[in-house]
Parts: sequence; C-alpha cells; structure tokens
Amino acid sequence: MTDVSLPLADGGAVRRDLIRRATGRRIWRRRRFSHVATALCVVAMCLSLTPLVSLLGYIVARGLPAISFGFLVHTPTPIGVPGNGIGNAIVGTVIIVGLAMVMAVPVGVAAALFVVEHPGRLSGTLRFAADVLTGTPSIAIGVFAYAVIALNFGFSALAGSFALAVLMLPIMLRANEEAMFGVPAELWEAGLALGSRRSRVVRSVVLRSALPGMVTGNLLAMARAVGETAPLIFTIFGSQFYALRPTAPMAALPLTIYSDATQPFPAAQQTAWGAALVLVVLVVVVSAAARVVSARLNRKAR
Amino acid sequence: MTTTDEMPASGVTTATLPCRALEEVPRSRDVRRASAPLVSGGAAATPAPAVALHGVSVAFGAHVAVRGVTLSVPGQGVTALVGPSGCGKTSVLRAVNRLHDETGGRVTGRVLLGELDVYASGTPAELVRSRVGMVFQRPNPFPAMNIFDNVVSGLRFCGIRSKSLLADSAEAALRQAALWDVVRDRLREPAVRLSGGQQQRLCIARALAVEPEVLLMDEPCSALDPIATGKIEELIARLASHITIVLVTHNMFQAARVSDHTAVFLLGEDRVGELVEAGTTAEIFSNPKDPRTRAYVTGHVG
Amino acid sequence: MTTEAAIPSPAPSPFSVPGVRQLLDRRPPGRGRLYGVVRWGGAGIFAAVFVALLVSLFEQAAPALGHMGPAILWREWNPAKNQFGAGIFIVGTVITTAIALIISVPVGIAAAVLFAELAPRRIAGPMAAAIEFLAAIPSIVVGLWALIVLEPVFSRHVEPFFKKVPVLDALFHGPALGASLFLAGVVLAIMVLPTMVALSRSAMAAVAVEDREAGRALAATRWQVARQVVVPGARRGIRAAVTLAMGRAFGEAIAVAMVIGNNTGVPHSLLSPGASLGSAIVNSFSEALPGSLEKSGVVALVIVLLAISVVVNAGGQLLLRRRKPTTPPRGPVDATGGAGGPDPLLDLAESAP
Repeated sequence: MTDVSLPLADGGAVRRDLIRRATGRRIWRRRRFSHVATALCVVAMCLSLTPLVSLLGYIVARGLPAISFGFLVHTPTPIGVPGNGIGNAIVGTVIIVGLAMVMAVPVGVAAALFVVEHPGRLSGTLRFAADVLTGTPSIAIGVFAYAVIALNFGFSALAGSFALAVLMLPIMLRANEEAMFGVPAELWEAGLALGSRRSRVVRSVVLRSALPGMVTGNLLAMARAVGETAPLIFTIFGSQFYALRPTAPMAALPLTIYSDATQPFPAAQQTAWGAALVLVVLVVVVSAAARVVSARLNRKAR
Repeated sequence: MTTTDEMPASGVTTATLPCRALEEVPRSRDVRRASAPLVSGGAAATPAPAVALHGVSVAFGAHVAVRGVTLSVPGQGVTALVGPSGCGKTSVLRAVNRLHDETGGRVTGRVLLGELDVYASGTPAELVRSRVGMVFQRPNPFPAMNIFDNVVSGLRFCGIRSKSLLADSAEAALRQAALWDVVRDRLREPAVRLSGGQQQRLCIARALAVEPEVLLMDEPCSALDPIATGKIEELIARLASHITIVLVTHNMFQAARVSDHTAVFLLGEDRVGELVEAGTTAEIFSNPKDPRTRAYVTGHVG
Repeated sequence: MTTEAAIPSPAPSPFSVPGVRQLLDRRPPGRGRLYGVVRWGGAGIFAAVFVALLVSLFEQAAPALGHMGPAILWREWNPAKNQFGAGIFIVGTVITTAIALIISVPVGIAAAVLFAELAPRRIAGPMAAAIEFLAAIPSIVVGLWALIVLEPVFSRHVEPFFKKVPVLDALFHGPALGASLFLAGVVLAIMVLPTMVALSRSAMAAVAVEDREAGRALAATRWQVARQVVVPGARRGIRAAVTLAMGRAFGEAIAVAMVIGNNTGVPHSLLSPGASLGSAIVNSFSEALPGSLEKSGVVALVIVLLAISVVVNAGGQLLLRRRKPTTPPRGPVDATGGAGGPDPLLDLAESAP
C-alpha cells in the first residue's frame, strides 16, 4: 500500500477493495439506525403534540359546560350566587384592545414609512430595536404603563391599552415595513415618474399594494395582544360591572382567568375555563381573520 | 498504510497548471478520439455492460419524462447522453442511482448495475449509490463542511472511521480530481471558499472517494467557464481509463471531445423523451443511422 | 496555481433591479410637509416610547438601586429587613429556563427534523401547523391548564417518579408538592416548543435541495443526511431558535407565577417551590405599597429582567441576521467569472479547429 498516491496505477487497488467491501457491509445496519432515529423523532413529535391535545381538550371539555348565553352577557357574582358571567370582561377586552389598536396602528404605519423612506443607519437601528423589543417581557411593559399612567392618573382601561399598544408597536413596525418593501420598485417608480406628489404616491400606490401584508401583520399583533395578561395586571385593576369609561378601571378576559384560576373554588375554576375558551376562540378568530383578509385583498389586488 | 509524508508529491500536477487551459484542451480531445476505437474495437471480447437499462421509463405524476430506454453502457470509457433540453437525459441518469426515490419520480423497467438489479425489491438504494458516484450540474460541496470533510463525507456515511484510511482516501481522491496540489495546505478551510471550478473538482473527488464503479455526471460543466470546463473534461478523459463514466451534456462538442460512446435523446411526437440512437461516438457523429440523429447532429455540427 | 487558488469575489448580479431604497435615494424626500411630519412623527413616537420606558423604569427603581447597589444581583429578597435582592430570583429564572431548554431543544429539533426531512410532506405540514398553533395560545391559558391539570399529575406521579430515579434523586428530593421549579421549567418548555420547532424547521428548509441530493447520492441514509448535512447547514438558524426560545422562557411571568410555588427562600431541590424574576414581579408588585422602597425594589427586578432579555434577544437577532458573511455565493464564479449557464458561443470558439 505504499503507492496509494499513484491513483492511476493499480496500487490503490488494495484500498479500493477495502473501501468497496466496507461500504457494502454496513448498509442494513445504517438503514436500521435511520429507522430507529426516525422513530425517536416521531416520539419527540408526539411529546410536542401531547400538551397541545390535552390543553385544547381540557379547554373545550371544561369550558363548554360553563358557557351559556347568560355566562356571556352577565357580570360576575360572588362565589355561589347563580347568574355568574363574564360579559363585562368580554366587552372590556374588546374596548381595551380596540383602543390599543387605535393608538398603535397609526404610529406603526408612520414609523414604518420612515424606515422605508429614510434608509440608513437610523432606520437600521430602529429596525433592530424593534426586533429586540419584540422579545421584551410583557411584564416589564406592564410595569412601565403602571409607572407612566396608572401611577399618575389612576388605574384605567387606557393604561392597559397603552401597555398593549407598546407591546404591539415593534411587531407592527416590522410587519408594515416588510409589507412595504414587498411593493415592487416599479410601482414607486411609476408613481413618482408621473410627477405625483410623494405623499399621494405613498397613499394611492404603495399603501394600497402593501395593504394585505400590513393588515395581516397588524391583526397578528392584535391576536397576541388579546391574550396578554401581564401588561394588564397592574394597569386596569379589573371591575365587577359593565364599565365603559376608558378612564376608569375595567375588566378583561385574561384578568378574569388569572384571578379565578388561582381560587380554590370549583365554581371559580369553571368560570376560568369558560373565559379561557372564549379567549382562545377570540385569538383564533383574529388570527384566522388575518389570513382571510390578506387572502381576499391579495385576490382583489390582482 | 502509508502516511501522507511518504507520498511522492508529483502526482498529476501538470493538469492543474493554469497556463495549460485553452491550447492544451484540444490535445487531450485528440487523445480521447484516438483511443475511442480501441475501446469499442474490442467488441469481440466485450465485457458485461457496467450499466444496462431495459425499457426504462421515468414519470413525474402524470407527466412522462422519458419512455422505453434500452441502453447498455460498456464498462470503462465515457458514455455521453446528448440531446436537447427536456428530453429526459437527466431523468435517465438519475434512474441509475435511484435518485428519483427522493423526488417522487416513478421509474419502470429494469436497471442492472453489473449483476445488481437496481430496482429489485431487496436492493437497498444505499447499496446502489455506494457503487455509483454522482456529480451534479452546479458544484454542491456541503457548505457546513471543510474541504477534507467534504471529500471523506461519503466514506463517513458508509461507516468508515479509520483516520489513516480516510486521510489516504482523501489524498488519493483529490489527486485523481487534480485538486491535491491546490488544497493540500488548506484541507481545513470551508469548501465554499474554493472557486466554482475547484468546487466542482472537489465534488468529483468526493464522489471518487467511495471508489464507485460508475460515475454519473449531470452536465458537470454547465455552471463553469471555459477554462474550468477544459480542466474537467481533461479529468473525465483520464478517469475513464479505470472507471465507467456516464456524462449528460447538451453540448455536442463536449460529447465529441470526451466520449467513447454516445446516446442521442430527442423529444418524441407526444413530447416524451426517447432514446433515438446509441453507438460509438465516431459512428454517431460521422455516420448516424437514424435520420433524426443525422438532423440533430448536422444541425449542430454543420 | 496561485491565481486559481485565490478566493473569488462574489460577482455582482448584472440584473439587479433598482430597489426601493436606491430609487428613493435619488429623490430626496421632503415634498409634502404633512407627509414628512407623519413619518418623522411616527419614528419619533416609536423611539420616544422606548426611551420613556427605560427612563421611567430607572426613575422608579432608583431608590432601591441606590439602597442595594450591585448587591442587588446576589442578595435575597426580604422586605421585612429592607433587603431587595434579586439573587434567588435570578437563580430561579436560570434553573427554570435551563430545564425548559434541556427539554425543548432536543425535542423541538427532533420534531423539526421529522417535519423538514423524514416525514412525508402531506403529514408533516398539518402536524407542524398544529404545534405552531400552540404558540398562539395565550400564556394565561397555558398557565390555567398547567395549574389545574398538570400540577396534580406532577405531584402524584411525575415528581415521585423522579425521586426514585438513581442519580437524579440528588436533584429531586423533598416533598412532591406539584408547584415547583421543576413544574415551572416543564411549563416553560411546553411554551417555547412551538418557537423551537417553527424556527428550526424554517432554518432546515433553507438548506439547499442540492446538498440533500449530494448526500443521498453518496449513499447516506435519510437520517444521515438530516443529521450530517441538514442540521449542520442550519446550525446558525437553530442557534438563533434556541436563543429566542431562551428569551421567551426568561421573560414569561404569568404562567410561571401560577405554577412555581412562589417561595422567596433558597431552593434546595428542583421539587421545592421557588420564584423567578417574572413570577416575583407579578406577586410582589401588588403587595408593595405605592411609593415604598419595596415597590422600587420590584421595579429594580424589572430592570434586571429587561437587561437579561435584551442581551439574549439581541444575541438571537444578530444570529438570525448574519448570514455567513465570509462565504461567497455558490455558482458560476471562476477565474473569468462567466455569468451563469453554458455559453454555446464560447464552447464553439474553444473547439473550432
């Protein structure tokens, strides 16, 4: 085997036979190993799916019995008193999230326009900051909203909306910006070449064709905000009544779940399961709406 | 087993001198042409074909790519599969090492690799592939591996762990691929740092390291410039003395330069590829029997 | 030889369409004053909000930070003694996050490998979507389920089981109460799994088909291609997935607070109730009187948590962002840089007699 380095001579023949025999020999073992590894991956998948199935199963099984028309419209009663409901929490969630959208959406769109139109270090920093802030613990945002609003103006739905808006803003900025960059350069060019005023180009051309992406991104941000508890826990205080004034304390679904789940009474827990089911349905509806809207607008744009 | 140090450094250096390129390629072509009749001339003592296809068809879903190919690829030498794009040359090539298993292509008919029935139910695809190397259109070294790991990857897949054997094989394969002198001092560098032509030769070395009987090459020069193409062609010519090469090309000149045998594929009336004629390269180019071959060949040459 | 060995520079694409950015560079913005106000206003508000976040948190935390100094990082939390240290909570956060990652990283990567490589696409798609759906479920709902469903199972079956396992029993001793650091870690693992699966799956999907075919053509089994070609090729994306999952585990407060047991003492075992930064904030914040040093101490905990999560998330984002800067793109780049595909004219010239 001294002349393996002379590849074209037959000196490599020994090595060649060695390798050819070795490659053939282990095939069945390797295939068996591949199958075992695949089986282990299937086990991993089942492990990942088990909590999901159990979670959804329990939410439906425990939540459905709790739900009735009265449950959805009534206000909470003391433990043991019939006629308990989460109507005010549902309305509260809708109001708080709605107000948060009113605050966050315009800022998100305007900031995204800035990032798209002013390329450079400043925008890069802004984008990076948004990416990092997307992972900010929501509890920190809750404490911030408490310090800025609740501490100065008292607990209110507005403080909760502000916290949710801060939470959504980075997500919205990135989603809007990505949707705008998806607009073909020719469309900007065509608009500008026609001598349109810049703001009109943006409004008529860019926003229109970026709209599906923006709507989807904003709705997904909303879906996340709907289920958040931590930003609300120190800001809205909760309420036992239909409170519609945004400057007053208000109830919300996540808060209802949190306070009822930690109580040792089965009735409270049942309320928590019912509220959880409603909350999951809300989240799913908003997420689904995001996809449906984007699909429909996409079709219309074509 | 020798160590790397003991090996003579001479090897095949002439092949990699950069000044060789253009003016020397025709010479290597002449050599191949001169040797071609020798190989096919030994018809009386024809060895068993290295690869034999009997009525092979390849279909992707409802679309039939190529139909009814019956072809014997003689042992050693270069067999070129030529024809216009979309006529099924590559499909036939990939049928030999069962690569259609991966992409959902359906192969019918019989493929024999020496005595081995490639598509028999008891034949593992891995066994076929350990005896058949393949080089793809675009150089595709594993981007996460360094040069050395790329070359020995096939051996490692086959379960060979011996360090000295891996080192010897790597050197021998790189020498055969005329790459040893370029990379001997940078074996630990990422493979993607090599130039396109070097990457392709690395892929050839990787395929050769497992000591295959047959080397399938799917338009190996289509992503390369003329100089790199020249080097690869030279390499093909030298390798052909001890390994069977099946080369897909849609470049008639390349087929003429490097191959001993040529199989011409054309699109049939129903847009399905078929084998029109096969024979020695000299016959196909100078005296084709099928009028369609004549039209195709003269259309390109004359 | 030396010329050939040189590292080729990536050839600029001759077909690059002028991007929005270059296009806009040509026309300095500014016409339409209102539009300018909108843009700058949007960016300004965005920046201002997050500057305000930092400023107000530091303002609130200042008394406690001044009171404790750097010792805040290792002291215990004992309001009765006017001691507001994050030490125990940092330990609790690290332990629960570590448990979460020890479980979710191998399980998540294995599931991602299955979806990206091993399972038929028709099955993999819906299954992966189902797991990623878990990411959309609010953490409060996961917390509810963990508290009511998982906790009894843990205190009755899982925790007693781990107490009997040799070697591991060193970590698992003491009464099996259910609520514990261990349960909190498991709940976090469940919550970050979708992130792990989704991000590592997309990283694996980005590995070129050609690499897989090269592996298969070299007689590798499916598993070998996945393990030795695809996973190493997706290394960077997987690392980013782990980092971002870690960021999420660090920051989760509500669900952890529901199952960790909320004990501010030193934990002696994984089965003892503990506290993480997030859970401590949730529990102590409402108890502390406004304006008290304790309240300020809770906000200081928020700052510690924020600092950790910013570092972790910035690391994850940088990993996601940097796409192998050292390697030139593959393809037709050789000495002459012939751009793309076979060139029949050049072939003709070369072979002309």
